[in-house]
Amino acid sequence: MTKALIDVKAGEKVDIFLINAGFKAHNFLADLGIHEGEKVRVVKNDYGPIIVEVKKTRVAIGRGLAKKILVR
Amino acid sequence: MCKNMVFRNCHSTKRKNKKKQKLKKCKRNYYASKKHSIEHVIGFLGNPNVGKSSLFNELTGSHQHIGNWPGKTVEKKEGHFILADEYFSVVDLPGTYSLSGRSDEEIITEEFIVQERPDLVCVIADAMRLERTLYLALQAFELTDKVAIIVNMIDVAEKHNLEINRKKLENSLGVPVILVSALRDSSLIELKKFIYDALHTDKYHFHPAKIFYSDKIEGLIRKISEQIEDRKVLKEYPTRWIAIKLLEEDNWIKSELAKEFDLDILLKTLEEIKEKEKINPKVEIAKTKYSGLHTIVTQSVKGDIEFKETLSDKIDKIVLHPIFGYPILVLIYALFFFISFSISSPIIDGMSYLLNLFAEYIRSVMIQSSSPEIITSFVVDGVISGISAFLLFLPLIIVFYTLVAIMEDSGYLARSAYLMDRFMSKFGLQGTAFLSIVMGFGCNAAGILATRIIKNPKDRIRMIVSLSFIPCAATLGVIAFITGIFFAPWKASLIMLGLYAFSIFLTLISSSILRLFMEKEDPLPLILEMPEYRKPILKNIYYLTWSRAGVFVKKAGTFIFSASIFIWILSNLPYNVSPEFTILGYLGKVFSFVTYPLMGLSWEMIAPLVFGVAAKETIIVALGVIYASGDLKSVLLNLWTFPQVISFLLFQLTYAPCFPTIAAVKSETNSNKWALFSILWPLFLTTLITTIVYQILNLII
Repeated sequence: MTKALIDVKAGEKVDIFLINAGFKAHNFLADLGIHEGEKVRVVKNDYGPIIVEVKKTRVAIGRGLAKKILVR
Repeated sequence: MCKNMVFRNCHSTKRKNKKKQKLKKCKRNYYASKKHSIEHVIGFLGNPNVGKSSLFNELTGSHQHIGNWPGKTVEKKEGHFILADEYFSVVDLPGTYSLSGRSDEEIITEEFIVQERPDLVCVIADAMRLERTLYLALQAFELTDKVAIIVNMIDVAEKHNLEINRKKLENSLGVPVILVSALRDSSLIELKKFIYDALHTDKYHFHPAKIFYSDKIEGLIRKISEQIEDRKVLKEYPTRWIAIKLLEEDNWIKSELAKEFDLDILLKTLEEIKEKEKINPKVEIAKTKYSGLHTIVTQSVKGDIEFKETLSDKIDKIVLHPIFGYPILVLIYALFFFISFSISSPIIDGMSYLLNLFAEYIRSVMIQSSSPEIITSFVVDGVISGISAFLLFLPLIIVFYTLVAIMEDSGYLARSAYLMDRFMSKFGLQGTAFLSIVMGFGCNAAGILATRIIKNPKDRIRMIVSLSFIPCAATLGVIAFITGIFFAPWKASLIMLGLYAFSIFLTLISSSILRLFMEKEDPLPLILEMPEYRKPILKNIYYLTWSRAGVFVKKAGTFIFSASIFIWILSNLPYNVSPEFTILGYLGKVFSFVTYPLMGLSWEMIAPLVFGVAAKETIIVALGVIYASGDLKSVLLNLWTFPQVISFLLFQLTYAPCFPTIAAVKSETNSNKWALFSILWPLFLTTLITTIVYQILNLII
């Protein structure tokens, strides 16, 4: 089942399926290791940007962008 | 393998665009070569938060030189150490996550590697996050063979029972690897020896692992490479690297290549293939690198735990809490202001007292030696007070920088950006802009320097020119004085609060208006690494503070000084007449032709504001000099009408940045045009708003 990253609860680990972001954001995410096929764990998702754990680092992603990242 | 032992001959370097920089380098080499016949250049490359600066500081100690990269606003840090009578010049390249974007930091790094041809590029990685931090190394491999890997924070890894097999890592990466900890003294000696050995012995090999992409990507790389193999442009860059860059849609590479080749057909086929195969080459390339790294790291690291809630995560549960996070933020920044003012103001007071004593001493000496009165005044009220104005500015700047460095080094800076992002995004700004506004309340110039953490260049410029709408500590003094004369205490505080709210509003509105006029670029939403909290390292704070303050002093010093002289000339010539008949008086009268009908500001009200441009603190003093008769408070109470008072308060709040701020705008944007704009824009907007308010008030009353 695919859903947006923003709908994932804290503590869940998901597979990134599709990133629908602009060119620059897409590239920057890829450079941080957040790309299609990669697993990320949502660490925090309540108010403000969402925080994911990827390759042992915590990355904050704006909520608008998190809507455009599809996971399963 | 002694090929790296290069005698750097200064006369053979003939790169026109780098002439100036080279000249400087030659000079340095000249001094270096007097004692040390061999000089090596080493580049330090790494992600933010891997301890790169700590290692650099440890290695070079006080032998550091901070400047800017030519034509860029990015800091250039250089240092050196000497080992076995050889001179090792270390260049601390800007911290970056990747080399595939087109930010100034990345361009600088690529140019440095390819054109300066350093003898060694050291990629600093974090032992706890090898996969992520080695990504940069794989990108560097595509540019040069002379890469060495320094795995830092090995002490933390050992604490977590992480076993890193250095030999295996070295074999699979194909370049020298060393495991160090910036906190250990032994690491420092090992690191120096490692760098020395890497350059001198054949103990190490440089055959960086070659990354092979998917067949489709490799096919495209081959296709492009064949076409550009024989080229006149970008000759120093490896062909494969250019091909990869072209696939990554790098505009600079595209335009450079277009000078020689007709790329239309090639780009068209590329588009078609991308469309048909549904691939994004840039993402494919990053993915391949990461999956290669994943294999390498899993093979050479033992004891890796998949996921563990860290102490930082636990702290973040409170610090980034949707409700508690904000009171904590307010508390921390309140403390920040309290500390910076309570430390700096006694120092400023003391210095001011001593400088006054000194000035009066010089005055009495000059009077005794019967020097002409005008010369005495020029020396004391012009030159000495100019130097004083500059010196008195320093304590606040240094204390501010120290505190910012502490916030930065501890990891809280990223958290405050996180918390403010939602609010700031309503005005098209990122959370990172928040810090500069906070700093601006203390001192606009300091706020402008704090914009360095804003990554989008255009967002940064918008913020820089909008910052002068923030009332600084000196403006607060003027507001408090004027409202204190005309209003009861409770009304005065309400008006003060209103003015503050209004100025924040103006700052954000200014930024929003400017966004309308700037060419729209692909907006970059917040993507921000949240580094682990850590105890700030004293040495880092020290170097960070002095390097930043030093750059500012160099750039702003002469400017503030000459501005003070200029103000002396305006307000003292012709000499020995009443203020009304000085150049400043006449200027005030000329301005008042416009300002009086529009905003009710007479020349006596405008002239002090000209002083205010030098330093806002002087506005009250200047009012006193111009309304020279009797007690200033009662004089103003009699002369100014209510609309005039409001008009003056509004106008002085934001009319123009002071000289240090203008100097900061100039040095941070590297542009006279923006510096000029930063004067005219607030003047225009403030005049407009004050006129509207004054005219309405006049109609009502």
